[in-house]
Amino acid sequence: MTVPALTAGPVRRRSSVFVATAFAAAGATALIGSMLAMWLDFRAKAPLRASSDGAKMIKDWLKADVAVPEVASNTMMITFVAVCIMAQWAVYSARRADRSHTILALSITAAIGLALVNAQIALYLQMGLELRNDAYETLFYAVTGTMLALIVSGVVYSLVALFRVWAGRMGDHDVLAAHALYWYALGGMFLAVWFVVYVQK
Amino acid sequence: MSVADASSLSRPVADEPSAVTRLAAWFTVADHARLGRLYLGFTGVWLLLAAVLGALLGAERMDAGAALVDTGAHVQLFGLYHYALVLGVLAPLFLGVALLVVPSLLKAATVSFVRLASFGFWMWAAGGALVVASIIANGGPGGGTADAVELYLLGLGIAIVGILCTAVSLAATVMTRRNGATLDSVSVFVFAVLVSTVGLVLTMPVALGTVIYLWVDFANARVAFGGTGLMASWLAWLFDQPQSLLFAAPALGVLGHLGAVAARTRQPLRGGVLVGIGLCAVAVVASVTQRSHPFTVGDTPGETLGSFVPFALFHLLPLLAPLIVIALALLALKAGSPRLVAPFVPAFLGVGMILTGLVGTAVQMIDTTDLQGTVFTEAALVYVVYGSVLGAFGAVAYWSTAIWRRVLPTGAVLGVSLLGFVAVVLAALPHYVAGFLNQPAATATGHDDAGLRGILNGVSALGHLAMVLAVLGAVAVIVGARSRGTETTTNPYDTAEVAQ
Repeated sequence: MTVPALTAGPVRRRSSVFVATAFAAAGATALIGSMLAMWLDFRAKAPLRASSDGAKMIKDWLKADVAVPEVASNTMMITFVAVCIMAQWAVYSARRADRSHTILALSITAAIGLALVNAQIALYLQMGLELRNDAYETLFYAVTGTMLALIVSGVVYSLVALFRVWAGRMGDHDVLAAHALYWYALGGMFLAVWFVVYVQK
Repeated sequence: MSVADASSLSRPVADEPSAVTRLAAWFTVADHARLGRLYLGFTGVWLLLAAVLGALLGAERMDAGAALVDTGAHVQLFGLYHYALVLGVLAPLFLGVALLVVPSLLKAATVSFVRLASFGFWMWAAGGALVVASIIANGGPGGGTADAVELYLLGLGIAIVGILCTAVSLAATVMTRRNGATLDSVSVFVFAVLVSTVGLVLTMPVALGTVIYLWVDFANARVAFGGTGLMASWLAWLFDQPQSLLFAAPALGVLGHLGAVAARTRQPLRGGVLVGIGLCAVAVVASVTQRSHPFTVGDTPGETLGSFVPFALFHLLPLLAPLIVIALALLALKAGSPRLVAPFVPAFLGVGMILTGLVGTAVQMIDTTDLQGTVFTEAALVYVVYGSVLGAFGAVAYWSTAIWRRVLPTGAVLGVSLLGFVAVVLAALPHYVAGFLNQPAATATGHDDAGLRGILNGVSALGHLAMVLAVLGAVAVIVGARSRGTETTTNPYDTAEVAQ
């Protein structure tokens, strides 16, 4: 008796949305990475000045009267962890065809994204840094402003994904996976910004 | 007459779409072929502008004292010339060709995210228009009107985003619409498009980041980046080698593809061709350091080695890409039964010109040649850009049946190709020589214009004018074939032996 050979299963086509999002995330990472590289370069080349107590020479980079609000920046970093968890929850729920939880997860993702925008603006207001004196101010606003724009793009992505699920397109698992990937990438980028700009300063 | 007929007669006949509707259709174009033709059309206009600017600046340099144009505008004109060569011609050139032929090579209906590609095209076109407007309004690098300088940066940023969007669309197409084919079995042109577009996705954001920095600094403090005077130097890597090789990589793919077609055999070392094209990706590192890496002989072997390693990485390794592809195209011809395939000629000559440009860049980076800062640098870029144009013409001529359903006449293709080749050599080679005579780059005054230098600049101007003629000739060949040629979808160059 001959045993019929098993036929190959259908080839799963890679999702265009997922791949394109991966490329977009790579591009955004290159953008932030290059800006941080220039930040580090400028900081390394900053001239020396005497410290406030006159005891040693330090880089004339961050002015003595400028305080970086660490609570706000640390809160943003922690919030990114939350937003990634919510985005992954949306993927988890969609795979189980749980529409209500998918909508809830995406809504929370978008809301937390907006909270990140709010935190960044609050951080600007707390610092009260004017954009007219030195290289630090230019680079600070350019880097954090670009990161802010990327966060806004993430919020828009969440809202689009939410709209699609709300409209009944629950089968778009790849879109939700791509959405989560984008937020993971944004989280990674902010981790670098947080460490270089807010921790190392 | 039936009732249905009566009702149809009583209804107004559908009119021709209005001008507004037709205009809107162009702005919302979601057809990859139409989009590709738009890219090529606009690139052609930029190529004409670049060639005319090259001729104008060459004529201006014939006499270091006379001024065909205001001396104060020289910096801006050179800025526009470089923009036209790289972001006006080189970057979008193969995006257009790829939009036209990649779907058919992959047996896909269209490209992924065709509206994203369309958005990218209009962003690029609008960015270019803003750049030209800003230069006219005394903006751009070295410009004196603050608003116009900001407009230039805005245009530059928008154009970069546009190129990025189309690159993402094409890269996603190759990654997801291969219909079961593996990456090593697709056409080498498709593989080259993937290498190029992924490289663009990784490097263009770096340029965008620099533009953002320049804009924030210029609009506010103007203390970190040196204002308009140093603007060009911050983005110099974008308009130089090896970054330009990323844009030109698909030209190598065209030659890799046509080498096998002309030889009527499978490429014996197909993997080698893919490796050669993949080496173009080395150019990505240009965006990492954003500075030149000259080779200097140091006082100790360690110093010399420390200078040689980055020099070799940035300027010698990229040389291998066109070298390998040319060598393997010749190997295929030797192994097969060669025949005259007209599109092979511009593709071969084009990659040869790209190689000449890369060799020139490597030579000028050797410190002892004292060529940096001379017109030698400009000539190397002209070789790469015009060489890529030749390569693109080869692609368009070869895939003309897929693009326009017409075969371009062999004689006309060869004629335009040879005219283009002569134009490249005339436009660039004199400045290679003038570089050794220490003629400075990016200026048309203040140099010694006596004797040979004046002649060389004149010949270079003639070369650019010859390129104008070659472009017009190519357009005439295409228009002529479309109006008079017989409609066909059969590519006369394809044979059963060649399975790409």
